[in-house]
Amino acid sequence: MRVVRNVFRRRLRAFLTIFGITIGVLALVVMGAMAEKLQLLVDGGVEYYGDKVVVSGPGSIGGFGVEPLSRDLIGELEAIDGVSRASGSVMMLLDEEVGAVSFGVPANINGEDGRAEGYESFEVRFADGRAVEPGERGVVAVGADLVGKLEAEVGKRVTIRGESFEVVGIAEKTLTAPDQAVMMGLEDAQDLFVASLPAAVRETVDARELVTSIAVYLDQGRDPDAMARVIAEEIPDITAMGPEGFQTSVQEPLQIFNQIIYAVALVSLLVGGLSVINTMTMAVAERTREIGVRKAIGASDGAIMRQFVAESAVIGLVGGVLGLLAGWGIVLAANSAGAASATELFLLTPRLAFGAVGFAVVLGVVSGLYPAWHAARLDPVEALRYE
Amino acid sequence: MNDNIIEITGVTKRYRLGKDNYVNALRGADLTVARGEMVALMGPSGSGKSTLMHIAGCLDRADSGEVRLGGRRVDTLRGRELVSVRGREVGFIFQGFNLIPTMTAVENVALAAEYAGVSKRDAIRRATGLLELVGLGDRMRHTPTELSGGQQQRVAIARALVNGPGIVMGDEPTGDLDTATSEEIVGVMRDINTDQGTTFVLVTHNPEVAEACDRTINMRDGVVVDDGMALFTEYRSA
Repeated sequence: MRVVRNVFRRRLRAFLTIFGITIGVLALVVMGAMAEKLQLLVDGGVEYYGDKVVVSGPGSIGGFGVEPLSRDLIGELEAIDGVSRASGSVMMLLDEEVGAVSFGVPANINGEDGRAEGYESFEVRFADGRAVEPGERGVVAVGADLVGKLEAEVGKRVTIRGESFEVVGIAEKTLTAPDQAVMMGLEDAQDLFVASLPAAVRETVDARELVTSIAVYLDQGRDPDAMARVIAEEIPDITAMGPEGFQTSVQEPLQIFNQIIYAVALVSLLVGGLSVINTMTMAVAERTREIGVRKAIGASDGAIMRQFVAESAVIGLVGGVLGLLAGWGIVLAANSAGAASATELFLLTPRLAFGAVGFAVVLGVVSGLYPAWHAARLDPVEALRYE
Repeated sequence: MNDNIIEITGVTKRYRLGKDNYVNALRGADLTVARGEMVALMGPSGSGKSTLMHIAGCLDRADSGEVRLGGRRVDTLRGRELVSVRGREVGFIFQGFNLIPTMTAVENVALAAEYAGVSKRDAIRRATGLLELVGLGDRMRHTPTELSGGQQQRVAIARALVNGPGIVMGDEPTGDLDTATSEEIVGVMRDINTDQGTTFVLVTHNPEVAEACDRTINMRDGVVVDDGMALFTEYRSA
């Protein structure tokens, strides 16, 4: 309590300094929440891509094929030594017109042939209803982030690319790619895909023969990266991506992006730290005589040092908590505003929240060290003479 | 047990004001104060009386000479030991009261005990008793700005006494007070001196304060010129 009273002796100055920390923590929380969301997305990808090879058309990114593949490839892939199973799927963007550039995975349609069952370890659970069975027509299961956008509810109908579907399941939040997916049978997805092609091309293709990507499951003990190279050599005009490919094409760029985000937030927090140093230096100067009195009545250098460091830590703590609350508010508001369009950009994790406040306190302590040390080694006689 | 609480011999102190500019605050001062005395330390500005008091109270260190507090050499002490002697064996009272503005009367008094390692609860208990002793039993929870000058100085006296020191040093303790309040404060100190045997050394310009003391020590140019000891010895034996 004493410490808090001392901090607020100069109210305006205390609030301005705390405000500086608050802004820094706010930046760290909001930007960090964005980084955390991206990180989880990537973590999900690392898990998904960890044990398999994903084959798609030439020049594709992260499994989103531009050019479709023939289903015949599934057989060819399964014939390769070391491959235990290949499962085809059609993946396409949910929206006909791509809107604003989005972070992470865009909303998509995903139709799978069901051949992955028993091989795929990445499991999507359902909060309500069930998964779409292979071969089923006219039904969809909706990813957690798309519920608001599609106004989906089990038993109700939703319109996907102009076609009406019955919702049979709502997926649990995975915090990664499936949250942005509308899952349906392969045949329905094939039809939607063909319908999206230019009219001239549409006539020339057989919808049933199309997939956009093939997940290749491997025999126990096979190195997926080595297998990706084998597959790329054996089959022309495809992209084969193992875990390494995901790392270089997605994980590494995102990590750099995240590091930049954190660096920007930390810089703003450090600026706040400088103003704490300034404030504490002024507080020590103003209270020189008081420091002399405290020493005269028996305060050790350590006691004086602890006092000022504690005041500085309080500035960090109050600033940190206010910044966290403000940042939390912004994250909640932005996510609820984004929920309708399925763009939840932020995820405020406990480690980020505690980390941000903890960092603010540490920053307060560190910023207070020099002024406190200066206060502690004042000569009591000179300090008492100070007017 | 040594009867002299302060024994200072041949103490010198030089302050550096700037490059090649020194002031010799003490040039071989001697001072002896008996346990239980109440003495006034007088002299013109710059005569070294405050410096002598600071050295006697372990707030400052002498360049040379010997300083004993209660028979113990303190001029050789450094750092922690010096702080410990200062905190436990000496109490200070200042001209400008110098209470911590954000603390209540009782917290101000307790603070000195806490610095000496007393638990917060015991410190508050001690502080409460001492504030009652100086007549501020009904002002415990007031902050300094809510107290008059005389009341603030009573709090400062209580603070000086909280660790049960053998000696209390006052640097112009009545300097900011009017005549009536000044008399009152000197009276409070006199009572404590009589009742508890606490030694008081008061640096003062005020002849009335000096008159209320057992003897007056006069300083000039960094040395004690008249320590009034002859008179005191006479007074004691009478």
